[in-house]
Amino acid sequence: MNRRAFVALVRKDLVLELRGSEVVLAMVTFVVASFVLFRFGLGGGRTAGGTRAATGLLWVAIVFTAMLALARTFAREREHAIWDGLLAAPVDRALIWLARSCSTFVFLVAVQVVALPAFWLFFLQDGPAPDYGVLIAAALLADIGIAALGSLVAGLASAGRAREVLLPVLFLPFAIPLVLGAVSATTGTISPQTSGLHTLERLGYLALYDTVFVLFGWGLFEFVVED
Amino acid sequence: MPSLETAVLCDGLVRRFGERAALAGVDLHVAEGEFVLVTGPNGAGKTTLLRVLATVLRPSEGAVSVRGHELPRAADRARPGIGYVAHGPLTYPGLTARENLELYAALYGVSADQIGPALDRVGLDDRGRDPVSEFSRGMSQRLALARACLHGPSLLLLDEPTAGLDADGRELLREVLAEPGRTVIVSTHEPAWFEGLATSEMPIRAGRVAA
Repeated sequence: MNRRAFVALVRKDLVLELRGSEVVLAMVTFVVASFVLFRFGLGGGRTAGGTRAATGLLWVAIVFTAMLALARTFAREREHAIWDGLLAAPVDRALIWLARSCSTFVFLVAVQVVALPAFWLFFLQDGPAPDYGVLIAAALLADIGIAALGSLVAGLASAGRAREVLLPVLFLPFAIPLVLGAVSATTGTISPQTSGLHTLERLGYLALYDTVFVLFGWGLFEFVVED
Repeated sequence: MPSLETAVLCDGLVRRFGERAALAGVDLHVAEGEFVLVTGPNGAGKTTLLRVLATVLRPSEGAVSVRGHELPRAADRARPGIGYVAHGPLTYPGLTARENLELYAALYGVSADQIGPALDRVGLDDRGRDPVSEFSRGMSQRLALARACLHGPSLLLLDEPTAGLDADGRELLREVLAEPGRTVIVSTHEPAWFEGLATSEMPIRAGRVAA
């Protein structure tokens, strides 16, 4: 792997974000606004169904906000026709996908630094603390899956004409198993906490999903990014 | 199998976008060191031809090779020898000129020491730390030239390179294009400007080389 090119590609995304604050700020605003709306809609009850519903909302908000980030970062390159410069460069196109996945992962983690405490505050503050280790592991595994899948389908969607429509149409159906796994794993961290075996099963499911879409992304990106 | 003296070879090159064929069977032979002008009206297929040769687009049909490397199969071996100046500058407006060249230097495996001389060569040495979003069209075009030449390509593909350039910029472009040891293919609406540089002209009409 061309490590220098990979670092340069990730660094470019992060520098652009630090200067422009186009992506993460919009993501955080979207997630927190969603929580506020859901809080008033659901009342944040701590019943079993309420907890599961609340974690479902958390991941739905995160998946939607990931689409925001992916659409914006790919659109930036399409708007300025920069994509041709990347495609003409002598680097494996899978490396471009990997770099975009990594920067999307960083954006998601940055958003969750705000989103997870906010989620707790809005929906679960009356109950006992979750298993933080499992919660963080589940969130990171789900983020890898979202970033890997999202970067692949956003690359495909950005090459088409109706890219704003195409991205959710392609992304959401494939993201459903991931959301189900993330909801299940996150709910398991909240009291009454599930057994260690069940927790491992849920984290293993997310890891399997990640592996599949990392392999798909690495192998297929070259074929989906051209006009 | 093309000879080593062949820089670019297209045999029945077709490139379709959906049902529409932007290139409908282009035959082209460009020898090493040749300077070819590709001319024709808007929509004739000039940009598509350059994008295929730059390995950005795959050919739909036909055979294409760049310096003996068949596209798209051996595109990864052809890419290090190609410099491409597109319609846009292919640079990030939110990055400085230096940061943009640092990115491309990393992608092309060029030492960062080359960035200063590259900016100096196009007269942007004092603007290297300015964001590209503050550049005029002409300055962006100069930066595009620096980016395309950063890795010392043996094949230079330029799409309307004179657009937006002032008199000094045009003089600079002429100097760069006059450097020996390079094959150049230029798409242009101003063939007269390249007099003295170009060795041949290839008019394109409706995706085919006009007779």
